[in-house]
Amino acid sequence: MDGGAAHGAARSWSGQQIRFMTAGSVDDGKSTLIGRLLLDPHALMRDQAAGLEGDDIDLAALTDGLEAERAQGITIDVAYRYFATPRTSFIIADAPGHEQYTRNMVTAASVSDVAVLVIDAARVENGQLKPQTRRHAAVAGLMGLDLIVVVNKMDLVGWSQERFDEVRTAFGDVAGLLGLKNIAFTPVSAKRGDNIVRRGGADWYDGPTLVEQLESARPRESQADGPLRLPVQVVLRHGGTRYYAGRIESGAVRPGDKVRVGPAAVEASVAQVRIGGVGVARAEAGASVALELAEDRDLAQGGVIADAQVRYTRRFAADLCWLDENAWVRGRRYRLRQGALETQALIEDVRFVRDMSSLAEAPASGLKLNDIARVSIGARDPILADLYDDLPGTGAFVLFDPDTNQTAAAGMIREILP
Amino acid sequence: MRLAYEHGGALMAGEALEAQAPHVAAARLDRLEAEAVHILRELAFYERAAIMFSGGKDSAVLLHVAIKAFAPARAPFRLLHIDTGHNYPEVIAYRDARAKETGLTLIVREVEDSIRRGSVRLASATASRNAAQAVTLTEAQQEFEFDALIGGARRDEEKARAKERIFSHRDAFAPGSPRAQRPELWGLYNRHIGVGENMRVFPLSNWTEADIWAYIVRERIELPSLYFTHERDVVRRDGLLFPVTQLTPPQEGEVAERIKVRFRTVGDITCTCPVESFAADAIDVLTETLTAAVSERGATRMDDRANAAAMERRKLEGYF
Repeated sequence: MDGGAAHGAARSWSGQQIRFMTAGSVDDGKSTLIGRLLLDPHALMRDQAAGLEGDDIDLAALTDGLEAERAQGITIDVAYRYFATPRTSFIIADAPGHEQYTRNMVTAASVSDVAVLVIDAARVENGQLKPQTRRHAAVAGLMGLDLIVVVNKMDLVGWSQERFDEVRTAFGDVAGLLGLKNIAFTPVSAKRGDNIVRRGGADWYDGPTLVEQLESARPRESQADGPLRLPVQVVLRHGGTRYYAGRIESGAVRPGDKVRVGPAAVEASVAQVRIGGVGVARAEAGASVALELAEDRDLAQGGVIADAQVRYTRRFAADLCWLDENAWVRGRRYRLRQGALETQALIEDVRFVRDMSSLAEAPASGLKLNDIARVSIGARDPILADLYDDLPGTGAFVLFDPDTNQTAAAGMIREILP
Repeated sequence: MRLAYEHGGALMAGEALEAQAPHVAAARLDRLEAEAVHILRELAFYERAAIMFSGGKDSAVLLHVAIKAFAPARAPFRLLHIDTGHNYPEVIAYRDARAKETGLTLIVREVEDSIRRGSVRLASATASRNAAQAVTLTEAQQEFEFDALIGGARRDEEKARAKERIFSHRDAFAPGSPRAQRPELWGLYNRHIGVGENMRVFPLSNWTEADIWAYIVRERIELPSLYFTHERDVVRRDGLLFPVTQLTPPQEGEVAERIKVRFRTVGDITCTCPVESFAADAIDVLTETLTAAVSERGATRMDDRANAAAMERRKLEGYF
């Protein structure tokens, strides 16, 4: 095939892909911002953009999808949007602003490389952020996302640099409490399109536009330098050979590598690395592979192929976001999923629940929908003793309710307990 | 079937991939393929899973990835096609040939049979049968007790679909209530279902139309000839080109003309329109796609244009 004819259009499209989430309180203009991102880089096809001409366009109408939402004028679920700039293609995971749907923000954060948080510049008074804004920032911090704070509606405050700095300061205080590391701020007017794709508005601001910041974000899955973690999803049998198939969550693997297999960390060596049925010389984090081992080892679905330093544990402390409408009941057992493993788990103790207004750690005896808490957990089978900050792929876990099958909680391992 | 990565090399970095088409976004396609393979391997969990295989391009890509996901073993899926009876013969021939090539069992269930049973009643003999597919699909799901049905739907297709989970949990009578869907975190999918429930799974959720075509180019996936330029009798109506067939004759006062067209989707004859095109192969189509001004469904699907919320309603009725 001759690819020459496609070059002009296609070259501009073949950059990397960044997945980001958006969050904001209901009136901060988040839907308008997303509409602007979709409209300005010309990502919208003509029929979707119909009715969006003129100065006073309803950008929010682009993203509010379901009929029920249209009627209420709110977004109630996570929605995914696509657009591309000449350098990069993007997937937006749009999380809702409503407090009761924090679980959807957690969901969006878990599949994102970076978080964009929208704040209405006109609504920050006396240096105070709204409780929902604090909650959103807390979730981004908890889940280890870099944060881009978009200070919106700057046109309504006359592009006041003082107001912009006030928001930065208010946020800076909160960020310290939450342990947020990388935060960037951009003054914008989503409605007018200033500093989203094209510059405008403030002559005092010479930093990057929102899109420039997004283009330089790092994909989160670049964990190729870490220790090997390959959870086995399924064992493929062909002839007399067994192939351990799964996605590499961290590290890289080559034929000949010495690895450790299962909770007993039995040594084995890699005979073959396959992708799509074909042998390759090397595969790294993010790749879905099938490994053949040189030795016969006892390894099944749910087991892990790892490096020599791997450690397992049955007890650990974790941050939990409670996602289920059914509150936690002491003594109740849940299914815990880490990588490809499912085992039983028991929440032994709730150390504290974070109060989202003060961001303080408050003692608590229960867990209910949207609570963010530090807990200690015991598991029936050994799980990888990986901290979320070091190894997000395997330091994360979820809890399922074994009776309702609902997803009960999202967890991040913080500490290994004896 | 030819597979990519015939030479060893670093994956995800993409630099050692065979470079047939230098403009194809290797790193991005690798990420999307790896994600789809990961999702498909999750489905080994189910006892009776089936791939919805219509012979359309998205299902062709889905089948291709499924074969790769389980190679060198056989993919643990059957193929299921809900045939409206209004399909182009080229597509049906392609469907049968692909099924045979992969060695997977193909199950075909006809909307016609649902009509005969009385579970589907149409307004007229030539009415679109797209909505009726949902009924026949549910009947087939129950007949074979499928616990997972795997579809090639993408989130970029339509607003309501943009909110679909990758694992979309269905009970017997409320197939797609958007409020009841489970949160989906880190790719740690919740696969559990209760008695009488099933899972609809969409491994290509994060792909766009351009990604699909780029992947078809890279993997050299064969498609029905309707996807490429050919001469066809059409009439112009409401800004769309309507194919002239026995089921869809010209209306009074309309004049058929013969022009070069291709189909962007190949659904039910009565509701799928071609677009004017000279694109002769997948690279040509990719180029057109990247410069297209009208989205896939808007250009070609009459039933979606009927109502902005058409897709969402069909979802509630169990349509994919």
